Amino acid sequence: MTAPEPGSLLHPVASCADLVPRHVVKARLLGQDLAVWRADDGFINVWADRCIHRGVRLTVAANDGAELVCPYHGWRYSNRSGNCAYMPAHPSDAPPRRLRVPAFRSEERYGLIWSGGSPEAEPPRLPHLEADDTLVLRALPVNVPPDLALQGLHECSYQLGPAAGDAASISCDSAGPFAVAVTARTGSTEEIVVHFVQPVDGGRCVIRPVMRGTPAAGRRLSILRHHARQLEELRARLESSAGSRVTVRGPSTALEPLPRPSTTAASGRAPQLEVSVARKWLTAEGIAAFELAPMSGQLPSFQPGAHVDVHLPNGLVRQYSLTNGPGLTSVYRLGVKLEPDSRGGSRCMHDSVHEGDTLQLSEPHNNFPLRRDAARTVLIAGGIGVTPLLAMAQTLERQELAYELHYFAQSDDHLAFGEVLEPLSTGLVKHLGLSPDQTADEIEKITHDYGAASHLYVCGPGPMIEATRAIAGGSGWPDDAVHFEYFKNESELHDTSTFEVRLARTGRTLMVGAGISLLDSLRDAGVDMPSSCEQGVCGTCMATVLEGQLDHQDVFFNDSERAAGNQMLTCVSRAAGERIVLDL
Amino acid sequence: MTITDGRQTEPAIGPADPVAVDQWYALTALDEIPVGRAVRTKLLGVPVSYCRDHDGAPLAWLTQDSLPAGAPVDARTLDAPLPTMADYGYLWTTVGEPGGALFDIPETAEPDRRILNAGTFGIFTSGPRAVENFLDMGHLPFVHPGVLGQQPFTEIVDYQVEYRSSEIYAVNCLIFQPKAAAASTSGQMVNYTFRVPHPLCALLYKSTPEDDVRLDVIGLFVHPIDDGRVRAHLFNCLLDTVNTDGQLRRFQQGVLAQDKPILENQVPRQLPLDPDAEAPTRADKTSNAYRRWLSDLGMTYGVVASTQPGL
Amino acid sequence: MIKLYDYLLSVNCYKQRLLLSILDVPYERVDIDFYPGWEHKGAEFRKINPLGHIPVIDDDGYVLWDAHAILVYLASKYDPTGSWYPVSDPRRLGEVASWMLFAEGTTNTASAARLHVSLDYDFDLEACQAGAHRLFRVLDEHLWFQEQQGQEWVASGESPTVADIALFPDVALSEDGGISRLDYPALRRWTERVQRLPGFIDMPGIFPVAKAPA
Repeated sequence: MTAPEPGSLLHPVASCADLVPRHVVKARLLGQDLAVWRADDGFINVWADRCIHRGVRLTVAANDGAELVCPYHGWRYSNRSGNCAYMPAHPSDAPPRRLRVPAFRSEERYGLIWSGGSPEAEPPRLPHLEADDTLVLRALPVNVPPDLALQGLHECSYQLGPAAGDAASISCDSAGPFAVAVTARTGSTEEIVVHFVQPVDGGRCVIRPVMRGTPAAGRRLSILRHHARQLEELRARLESSAGSRVTVRGPSTALEPLPRPSTTAASGRAPQLEVSVARKWLTAEGIAAFELAPMSGQLPSFQPGAHVDVHLPNGLVRQYSLTNGPGLTSVYRLGVKLEPDSRGGSRCMHDSVHEGDTLQLSEPHNNFPLRRDAARTVLIAGGIGVTPLLAMAQTLERQELAYELHYFAQSDDHLAFGEVLEPLSTGLVKHLGLSPDQTADEIEKITHDYGAASHLYVCGPGPMIEATRAIAGGSGWPDDAVHFEYFKNESELHDTSTFEVRLARTGRTLMVGAGISLLDSLRDAGVDMPSSCEQGVCGTCMATVLEGQLDHQDVFFNDSERAAGNQMLTCVSRAAGERIVLDL
Repeated sequence: MTITDGRQTEPAIGPADPVAVDQWYALTALDEIPVGRAVRTKLLGVPVSYCRDHDGAPLAWLTQDSLPAGAPVDARTLDAPLPTMADYGYLWTTVGEPGGALFDIPETAEPDRRILNAGTFGIFTSGPRAVENFLDMGHLPFVHPGVLGQQPFTEIVDYQVEYRSSEIYAVNCLIFQPKAAAASTSGQMVNYTFRVPHPLCALLYKSTPEDDVRLDVIGLFVHPIDDGRVRAHLFNCLLDTVNTDGQLRRFQQGVLAQDKPILENQVPRQLPLDPDAEAPTRADKTSNAYRRWLSDLGMTYGVVASTQPGL
Repeated sequence: MIKLYDYLLSVNCYKQRLLLSILDVPYERVDIDFYPGWEHKGAEFRKINPLGHIPVIDDDGYVLWDAHAILVYLASKYDPTGSWYPVSDPRRLGEVASWMLFAEGTTNTASAARLHVSLDYDFDLEACQAGAHRLFRVLDEHLWFQEQQGQEWVASGESPTVADIALFPDVALSEDGGISRLDYPALRRWTERVQRLPGFIDMPGIFPVAKAPA
């Protein structure tokens, strides 16, 4: 029988008990250094021990329960995906999704964490042990190659025998290529300890003994001490016979990391991933909450303020903000308000989408990004507009950055996601049952003193956003400090003009006729423009304008951006004159 | 017992990289050299020794068995003396043939400057990693919080990198600093200029509260013991009439001691020159320029050479 | 007020700053130009401590040197709870004394390696590293068994003692001397527990940890 390649198996890299909260375990397997950590949601991450930015070991990073924070430049990496979630040198940039720490398999069995490069391999299942009833004994690192340790374990089974009773008969058998089981029988009782050998690298290993069953509480400590002592003796013998120095060489096997989350490449408005409705509940009066889980693998990462396009069963496409804080990476959590004049979007989500259903989504887009370098951050939410701001508030809370979340709603019953609001004690201010005038007065009070490095984010009904922008502007808030996201574009759209578009990069020219959007014309001409809302709200279909006057019809740009005239949303905006030139 | 110091590679037996070899290196601060007694170290993996003779003149030589550490030294009996220079407060030597003189720091000629070695610290890293860290601004709020940077004011706004007569300059580098100067009562944006005149030496020019026009100069001169271990000299050329030498040193040594564990936790120790080996951002323009410059020079010591053509 | 003759990068001085901070005792720092001035070896300083080493404290005229002795004095005098140096519990006190002596060993190996690497002290680096690994194996095993018994600190009992302070920087800064803590997971968990103590202050070279979950 030929021994399997070590790289084709999973091996233990830590014991489950090693993964205490907010800690990063330093491990090494087959020459690959690993950072192993448990997030607050219980997920165990086994990552390459290296920040992709400047190579710093992530075992010196801080585990904040949701993300690892590299101590060098503060790059944050998300639980599960390993995606870079934030680059502090660029507070307004969403890090590209390709920025990701290589992640490896992580499985739990017998009280140990198992990892390796194989996508198919499973931790061993041994007749000696029961999966959920083991006692993990003290693991011992040994400075000899794994095969010497295995050989040593086989040869000294008598020493690894039971903690009590001299009359035991002891047998020893191989429990797979990297484990030795020692069985001790006295009369009718049987004690079994399996010694797993973790191949650290060419010159080192860790012996990880696991005992079957749970001993009586009174015997536990003496058993642990007995086996630790026996293994210490074995280690002393192994290390002295291996010589005083073992040369450690570089990686012997390159471990293959897990593939990145697979989504279809962005193209037009086509969906990119499939999710199932894991949970649906009524979170407030008229507001349904959804948790959408990936059909397989991990969900693509996102930043606070991001939304996804949901492709509804009735064929409509709607944008919903992710309410997820940084800790929640297993599902996307959305809130959908039933609009009385629903055109079919919210009605369909409320009435026709049920737990267990499958939905198609885009990857998250973020056109409402949160800066995390503000001296003061003010979040103003009107009703269901709270959804992206919830993501922001949880992010700021997690990073211990000061913020205020002003939540305007009709009544307590209309406050969505109470379980998320609850822990936001310090930053949350509720404003209930106010008239539009009273709301304006409150906003006036909130924004009356503008200070440098302050940022304001507002999301809610159109009139409330308009009012907030006007009031804040009046109090001296510059345009670039006031960030907003509309639900929909309520202005009347005009598409009667005709104009010529020159595409500077390809040198082509096309005509946009009346009744046809610039976006559609570009697509007809074979330009693969991404889009999402297609009503001038989300900013996904933005193009850079090199020449020409613009007829902005969106609600995405602020006044300064409109005046600058170098960007446009192709779904609703048009040329004001006869011709524009785009950087496409 | 396995002894590992985390090295990724064996040290070079001798210098194999003419770019690295044909340079002057600061071995140690002149006023820290014992008189008449040999001190042993390595330069680019080559055993070298140094001391000062009884007239105070610095000496350096290829280490010879007859002169163990601490042995009395007679300059006339050295088998293989090395060229030396005493400049900017340091003993410089070379195991190669540097084509020209040492780079100029004109400020050192100003009579009211305080020139001192704030300290020399051994670090398990390569010379280029140490220099790149010195040129890096994005780490200041994280590695030197409350002093050279402050969270959450972490943005690195765009700055300019220029090549001037085969040196690198990064100018208009702005960073928010809580205590830019001893007299500061609140934080302020500070403007840095970085200069790289030598593969393993870098300088930083920074405004000072004591002069409206002239700038403080702080330098990092790296002595590469081998390609994974250095001694870093902190050169100060300051306009400071307030602080004592001890205070200046305490500040600078504290800063370097914060950088040391970062450098010792970088993998690999050698600086990767391949643009895809690590993930730079716009904030890393200076280090990108430095990596490209080393690549163009043909430096192979202390780096992981790029496999990409045309660099 | 207590005067502490101090050097920022000395682990033994840091032990005093750490305990003083945890006990919230005000003190005045007298910075000694340890390197490159070697002020502690000079005639002036030898009038204070003829051994020529720091830290030294001067508490209102009472002068004491030797890092671990100062820890004992400070805890005995300034900790009203009596928990940092538990004189009323002979068994714990014995354990504290034992681990304080052990800490002399970690200082002479792990921290000596650090001085060699950082400041070219004339020590045998490999011997220092090997010695530190021998001690770290013992300490890691001890702390692992402490955890198994629901104990978080080197000496038994609910709360930390000066023995934890005496050991902490030698361990937390070991990688400065090229001593990896890969093989000592219990040691790594314990250093983080120390870092989460109320009043904890760091010294250059210690990486920050995330705060404990609520």
